[in-house]
Amino acid sequence: MGTFDTLRQEADAIISHYEERRAAMLPVLRLVQERLGAITTEAEEWVAQFLQVAPSHVHEVVTFYSLYHQQPVGTCHIQLCRNIACALRGAEGCLAAVSERLGIGPGETTPDGRYTLSTVECLCACEMGPVAQVNDRYVGPLSPELIETLIRAPESLPAMPLRFRGAVGLAEPVLSKRFSFQDSEAIETYLRDDGYQSARRSLTELAPDQVIAEVTKSNLRGLGGAGFPTGKKWAFVLKDASKPHYLVVNADEGEPGTIKDRYIITKDPHRLIEGMIIAAYATGCRKAYIYIRGEYVEPTRILQQAIDDAYKYGFLGRRIFNTSVDLDVVVHRGAGAYICGEESALLESLEGKKGFPRLRPPYPAISGLFASPTVINNVETLSCVPTIIQKGGESFAKLGFGKSGGTRLFSVSGHVRKPGLYEASHGVTLRELIDAAGGVPEGRRLKAVIPGGISAKILRADEIDVRMDFDSLLAAGTMAGSAGVIVMDDTTCMLDALWYAAKFFAHESCGQCSPCREGTGWLFKIVDRIRKGEGRVQDLDSLLGIAGNMEGRTICVFADAAAWPVQSYIAKFREEFEFHIREGRCNVRSEDG
Amino acid sequence: MGEPKQVTVTVDGKQVTVPEGTTVLQACEKAGSPVPFYCYHPGLSIAGNCRICLVEIASTPKPQIACYTPAAEGMVVSTTSDKALKARQDVLEFLLINHPLDCPVCDQAGECWLQDYYMQHGLYDPKFNETKIKKPKAIPIGPTVMLDAERCILCSRCVRFTDEITKTGEFGIFNRGDHSEIGLHPGKQLVNQYSGNVVDICPVGALTDRDFRFKCRVWYLGSTDSVCPGCSRGCNIQIHDNRERDWRPHIAGGERVMRLKPRYNPDVNQWWMCDEGRYGYKFIDHNRLAHVQLKKDGDVHEGTWDEALGRVSETLARMREAKQLDQAGVILSSHLTNEDLYVAKRVFGGLGVKQVVFQRPPSGTSDNLLIQADKSPNARGAQALGIAEGAGGLIEKALKKELRLLFVFTQDLVPLAGEEQVASIAKNLELLVFQGTNRNRTAELAHVVLPSSVYAEKDGTFTNFQGRIQRIRAALTPWGESKPDWQILCELAARLSLDVAFADAAGIFAELSQREAAFKGLTYHVIGAQGALLKQ
Repeated sequence: MGTFDTLRQEADAIISHYEERRAAMLPVLRLVQERLGAITTEAEEWVAQFLQVAPSHVHEVVTFYSLYHQQPVGTCHIQLCRNIACALRGAEGCLAAVSERLGIGPGETTPDGRYTLSTVECLCACEMGPVAQVNDRYVGPLSPELIETLIRAPESLPAMPLRFRGAVGLAEPVLSKRFSFQDSEAIETYLRDDGYQSARRSLTELAPDQVIAEVTKSNLRGLGGAGFPTGKKWAFVLKDASKPHYLVVNADEGEPGTIKDRYIITKDPHRLIEGMIIAAYATGCRKAYIYIRGEYVEPTRILQQAIDDAYKYGFLGRRIFNTSVDLDVVVHRGAGAYICGEESALLESLEGKKGFPRLRPPYPAISGLFASPTVINNVETLSCVPTIIQKGGESFAKLGFGKSGGTRLFSVSGHVRKPGLYEASHGVTLRELIDAAGGVPEGRRLKAVIPGGISAKILRADEIDVRMDFDSLLAAGTMAGSAGVIVMDDTTCMLDALWYAAKFFAHESCGQCSPCREGTGWLFKIVDRIRKGEGRVQDLDSLLGIAGNMEGRTICVFADAAAWPVQSYIAKFREEFEFHIREGRCNVRSEDG
Repeated sequence: MGEPKQVTVTVDGKQVTVPEGTTVLQACEKAGSPVPFYCYHPGLSIAGNCRICLVEIASTPKPQIACYTPAAEGMVVSTTSDKALKARQDVLEFLLINHPLDCPVCDQAGECWLQDYYMQHGLYDPKFNETKIKKPKAIPIGPTVMLDAERCILCSRCVRFTDEITKTGEFGIFNRGDHSEIGLHPGKQLVNQYSGNVVDICPVGALTDRDFRFKCRVWYLGSTDSVCPGCSRGCNIQIHDNRERDWRPHIAGGERVMRLKPRYNPDVNQWWMCDEGRYGYKFIDHNRLAHVQLKKDGDVHEGTWDEALGRVSETLARMREAKQLDQAGVILSSHLTNEDLYVAKRVFGGLGVKQVVFQRPPSGTSDNLLIQADKSPNARGAQALGIAEGAGGLIEKALKKELRLLFVFTQDLVPLAGEEQVASIAKNLELLVFQGTNRNRTAELAHVVLPSSVYAEKDGTFTNFQGRIQRIRAALTPWGESKPDWQILCELAARLSLDVAFADAAGIFAELSQREAAFKGLTYHVIGAQGALLKQ
């Protein structure tokens, strides 16, 4: 155990950030992996002893999250995204190219130990697709030249620009206002632009209830995807002060097709921090955790810098703005599990366990993190709050449409000429967004669009005049979700599209509830078999039957999300699926040559 | 504490009233409409993961899991609506797609909840046409349990058991999605005092008992309610014997007892039993005293009951005549039933033997869950019958040649007094009688050996450390020529013209409960399946 004792001091420092020892599980495991190259059985035993949990439960965590490995990887770890948005932009070709160039397949390491090649699910850098994570960096869009550079001299890879494309149909940008500023992430930049004035006003002039009332008036809804009214969520928080209250920021961006939170954190982190101060004040929280996805290494660094600066300026810590308000913020990094974006799974994960969604009730507002009242909001949701306080709830509501107040950040990826991030009112139409993104490439026709991340039901080309607010999309039979718009042109094989979706859900099911655990794998196996030309006439009915049997039968809505693509792709493109089964080949890709 | 509020719910058209906080699952059970479940276990936290207990609740669009949903006033539940039945059938199909369906070679077959529920709620036309996922099979995960990860339905009962009950944390569910698999930390073994319970609570063939595995098909088993004699806890058990042994003597080499299983008793052992008790049944079929033995001039030979009881009764009668009974001693045992002890008390009391004591076996380990340090089942009963404790005095006397006759029941004196001492006691005494179930050194040294029945071969009661009187029942006929202790004593009484005669244990208890204050008013009926406390 001598090797591990050298880690003890750092591990002790990690533990000091948490209310319970076990909550330090993910960061302590990351520490072990960073220092020792892999998490061995012996290392698990040390962590177990250190955190006072059974070694079996450490092993559960290590095997649940995809960022932990039990075998060392090469000095250059190339993780190629193989989810739908990247696939639409040529991920398979990149995989083949990298594989051929290195002479290894996915999951393998070159004999010299230099390169490990892996395929991964969505990195949430769809605008950079096809994208790879090379050690800590996102690299994309991958071209033959870029692949050559990353193999030959990974240290000399050029900086990858962010692709914020501007506001669509807005008089002025709101959330993305500062994205184009020089050094936009710096606290000085933020302060020059009225930064932290909304927090100051809230803490010194408004009562918590007044803050909540303003947010309620704003029609702000949860922008992580559920669209739950934020004011209502805050009002639910148990007023009882006998237990500490926690604010948890969901920065575990993971919905394929979505890139927005990474932009906010990278470009304007103080907006988020200010939103957190206001939210914490309104709900009586003195401690906040930001759960950020593990792959976001650079965004985490920027965020931590911003938090450190905010402490220096007195916006965090004790007696903020000379009031009795205190707030401490801890950045907690995830470890690679889509399900941890689900709020109750996120809390489990934050407590050092596998990301298993919890049975509800109790809801987090009553009993969440460490069994205490907890507010969980998405990054973008909280980032709207300073503007709401500054401009007033009503004026914010007017920026939106119907019952969805304000603007939101739309991630547009797939077959468009200008993939990237756009800001628009909730009332923007899908057509306007696609047009703003330059439409489909020359000579192609639009075929289908996923409007709100991979979980959302697909829309056909003739259905894109729909507005993007929560209620309009719901009425159109799909959902706004995380506003990840994935565009597909007429070269897209819908069976392929479904294959990627089914593969994703089979890979990411936490495995807790039987219908989801078994159903996601079953769906994928059937789709995969059809794709191999071995479809049977009854397969489509089986797929629909299985999807229907998963829906509404599980603890969380992951199973429903896995069912929706199956149902909607088949419903809207049934003939194409039937052709595949009948002929054992693709009539879309073959036309393409 | 006030009375809990009552709520009335309708289950399948039938109204039931239950205390607030009751789950729909419990309400359904009460209404006579039980719903199936795998992950739910009344002794463990609620996981809600198997989803087989889905029921339809009026004005709730999605089916709800009965195990977690609290029963609410006015709730209308259907366990048999098309929606509920379909949900259940679908869940079962999901559970079975990757299940190996190796029932013919699975030890759980016949008591498998997948089989049972498939017959009750499944019977669908299977649609699965893909390759099943391979997982480890036939992995010994410790001295007692065998793991088959393919058969596992990931209900997490075993994980919760080792987390919540034993707090040893051996089990985990590793990986995710349909590659999830139950297991132990690499290199670790399932070694705790209660490991066998995970086999009981595993609803499928994933965790099987290495001791029982492949010994006997479960449909050949007979089951008899009893009480574990392994310590003073008195865990409620079932004795499972091979009731087909006359026709299938090849099974397990003809052994009679195949396994013991815990039986629920909320006041004693809940759902559990320890491994020591569970696997401590071997003495029933091994190393038994099958025949009356008599020693003459240093040679041991088999004898008849008539010879043996004749020799004992003659000696006692002679001593009674000669007023030498102060030189007779009786060492009873806390392994004997209340009925045995009562008859002994009457026989030896009636005869005029004053030195009658009971002895416990040497103390063992104990814990905070079930295991008691007193490794016998009925010391409290012996106390309640007013029998003095401790054989030390009599052994001392025998060593000092102050005794002529010593009558020892059940227990070997060697662990208590030492080999040499017991040998010299045997030499000093005119008659050393050993009445017991199994061969031991004392039996070898005794002048007369009377074979008696083990707890599994007789009816009666034990009184556990809490003062709870619990019934045991004969699962087997007496081994060889052995007889229940009380019966041997009655026969001895007859030879000594004492009026102590009983036809069965029930008759003894009927008299005992009239004459012994601590047992006043109790009957076998009152004791029932869960026991009754001694009167204070």
